[in-house]
Amino acid sequence: MDIVFSDASVSFAGRQAIHPVSVALTERRIGIIGLNGSGKTTFARMINALVRPTAGRVTIGGLDTVTDEEAARGRAGFIFQNPQHQMILPVLAEDIAFGLKNRGLSKEEVAQRTEAVLERFAIAHLAKRRIHELSGGETQLAAIASVLVTRPDILILDEPTNQLDLKNRSLIEQTIAALPEQAIVITHDLPLLDGFDRVLLFHEGRIAADGTPADAIRIYREIAAC
Amino acid sequence: MLTGLDIEGDTPLHRAPARAKLVGLFVAAVGLFLVSSPFLLGAAAIVAAGLYASTGIAPREAIRRVRFVLITVLLVAAANYLFHSAADALAVLFRLSALVLLAAAVTATTTISAFMDEITLMLRPLERFGLVRAADVSLAVGLVLRFAPEILARYADIREAHRARGLPVRPLGVLVPLVILTLRDADTIALAIDARGFRR
Repeated sequence: MDIVFSDASVSFAGRQAIHPVSVALTERRIGIIGLNGSGKTTFARMINALVRPTAGRVTIGGLDTVTDEEAARGRAGFIFQNPQHQMILPVLAEDIAFGLKNRGLSKEEVAQRTEAVLERFAIAHLAKRRIHELSGGETQLAAIASVLVTRPDILILDEPTNQLDLKNRSLIEQTIAALPEQAIVITHDLPLLDGFDRVLLFHEGRIAADGTPADAIRIYREIAAC
Repeated sequence: MLTGLDIEGDTPLHRAPARAKLVGLFVAAVGLFLVSSPFLLGAAAIVAAGLYASTGIAPREAIRRVRFVLITVLLVAAANYLFHSAADALAVLFRLSALVLLAAAVTATTTISAFMDEITLMLRPLERFGLVRAADVSLAVGLVLRFAPEILARYADIREAHRARGLPVRPLGVLVPLVILTLRDADTIALAIDARGFRR
């Protein structure tokens, strides 16, 4: 799926959060790195229309995120930095089904798709559990499942291994590696980017590097050392 | 913490369809306002308390959930005693208490999702006339049920934080951060609802 930024920029209260950027993202695994406040999350949120460009345009598969907001958003699922923030209902299966409400699906289809996604991530045994009872890794898997149940083409994950212990981090790393969907991962966890096709480095609202993980990480280390 | 007001269980009330419970609650509410005998209303309050207890809710939690409303009911009954009669006061006390306890029993045994589905279904006819957006109303009700306990928990956290720092716990000192944090959470939740494509 082609994600195209055409001179897209974002300003908040007179501050340029993202300077005009033109880039096409087509690779299967894309990483986004940068210091805190460098514009990574704002850039990623522009992809699924959570943030609108104040100038320029962003398209996903040809759909404009402003004029075709709903359809564009349907193509890109977003996992928040704190997955608990995106869980709306207290019980796992209910929360996963939440994303399918209001889509004109029958109860049977909602149940079938919920069950299928729970099985896909091997969390079917947690279906009746309360979200606050899940471990960090289980909550992250639940968040991924709750987004993928709506069948987006692209999955955007904002710091998916943040605050996870080593075991859960490995679980999420393997899960991301196995996803058939295109994935865009914002992260400070640099080893997570091993094997990624492309990494964008953000610095002060601009793309400071765009290339292989090794190249982008090398420049990132130089910036961080200043 | 993601909690909600429903409690896990397999009691007859848990197994009853959400629609039957909501219709039953509505019929009971109408019935309670048609009766004025304090004896009958007292019996109704006892039955309602029994139903609430039958949900399997822990006694402490059961009282915590309804105590503020029941205190208000008590105040209303006291006002009736002052301005009307003891019989009127008792009727108001039992009628409203029964209603509160029945509603608490339904809330404790019905999932937020089931509530949302039923409300959406009930409002569909009005949606056809362009009067409401059924999904939005059901979402609003669902969010109230989902966040009511969370706001109460946050209130307790802020009080604890004041105590931990040796600050006096004054209502304004607790309410201001509570409102700010609640509004910030509301923004996050709105973003999450958009991100998950619920609003169409």
